[in-house]
Amino acid sequence: MNFELIIDILPAFGHAALVTLQASILAIVIGAAAGFMLNALAQIYPTTFGIFYRGFVWLIRGTPFLAQLFVIYFGLPQFGITLDAMQATVIGLGIYGAAYFAEIFRAAWQSIPNGQIEAGRAFGLGRRQILRHIEAPQAIRLAVPMLTNQAILILKESSVASIITVPELTMTAGTIVAETFSYAEPYLLLGLIYWLLALAFAGLGHGSEHWLGRRQTH
Amino acid sequence: MTLAERLADYMPAIASGMLTTAWLSMLAIVLGFFAALGLYVLRTRSGRIGAGAVKMYVSFFRGTPLLVQLLMLFYLPAAFGVDIQSELAAIAALGLNSAAFQSEILRAGFAAIPHAQIEAARVFGLNPRQILWHIQVPQVLRITLPSLTSETIDIIKGSAVISVLAIADLMRVGKQLVAVSHRPLEVYLSIALAYLLLTTLIAMLASAVVHRSREEKHA
Repeated sequence: MNFELIIDILPAFGHAALVTLQASILAIVIGAAAGFMLNALAQIYPTTFGIFYRGFVWLIRGTPFLAQLFVIYFGLPQFGITLDAMQATVIGLGIYGAAYFAEIFRAAWQSIPNGQIEAGRAFGLGRRQILRHIEAPQAIRLAVPMLTNQAILILKESSVASIITVPELTMTAGTIVAETFSYAEPYLLLGLIYWLLALAFAGLGHGSEHWLGRRQTH
Repeated sequence: MTLAERLADYMPAIASGMLTTAWLSMLAIVLGFFAALGLYVLRTRSGRIGAGAVKMYVSFFRGTPLLVQLLMLFYLPAAFGVDIQSELAAIAALGLNSAAFQSEILRAGFAAIPHAQIEAARVFGLNPRQILWHIQVPQVLRITLPSLTSETIDIIKGSAVISVLAIADLMRVGKQLVAVSHRPLEVYLSIALAYLLLTTLIAMLASAVVHRSREEKHA
């Protein structure tokens, strides 16, 4: 193990980690927002929007992200829609995430017993108050562990963007290998960095679970 | 050529890519299952060091991208002078990755079996190996079938990244077809649909099995 080499390549990896985080976090925000909307629309319009919702989830969850990314990056230019690699990655990962996030929100929503909503109505609460004070707080708390898990899945999936030459962590490792002719250090470091990032995401998830739990008991 | 004629032209290549993807994924799932059983035995029977090592293994393989695991398995042995075939690296990466996920699934399955059953089996004179294979594993398989199904689907989808090692799987076939036809949209959409066919078939097969085993139980 060449420690001098590791010190030399650390700045490049640091820069690449920022690219990975940027793509992942943008995709998580887009995916969570779109997933929330999709689930809300499917709940409000179960018949008209429900079919579209189920088709979308089936299509996205049944195909590899790499294939989706290729359709967006290589296929869309045929319609005159040309995206650079980073844009294609963020949009592709966002759409991919939306299907999973929507299902998480759906599961969290369905886990709240109907009796609670009826009780809220009996106490004279309006639909919006029930949503805000009864459904949303519980649904969010139930969803946090699953949302954390999904965020980690998106972080890991972003490595696939290296195949369409986004200069994130995985592609940077390949570039360093091509420049230094050493395989061991860049690839060991690469695995270690992803592992630490995933553990950090998991830690953030646990932290927010605690925070939400504490807030609710007050 | 019309679109229909071109699609008919793609079919044989896509079918062969599907076969490669299907058998590599199945091999990885089966190998991953036995490795996951091994991890379970290590975790429960070899004390604190064994359990700690299993925990690290599971954490690493669940916390890093499959693509990175694949590249590490392919290039790290080369760094130490061992050349590894790309197919072997692909099966190893998919299998080791799946072992980590399956070991978490199996753990939940083992935990769901009442302890009294194990004690009863011991009283009847069964040894630990017989208890594992004849009492625990059949029930664990039945309990965890839905989770194992979604893991199988994850592996089929995840296996698309092995195309970077020039293995002629479904994804790689797509790239080759695009190189000839220069029509990426229809080719990659066909490839995506072929994956959808594989994953949907697996999901339908599993739900049929679950349905049947439920009926058997009630009969």
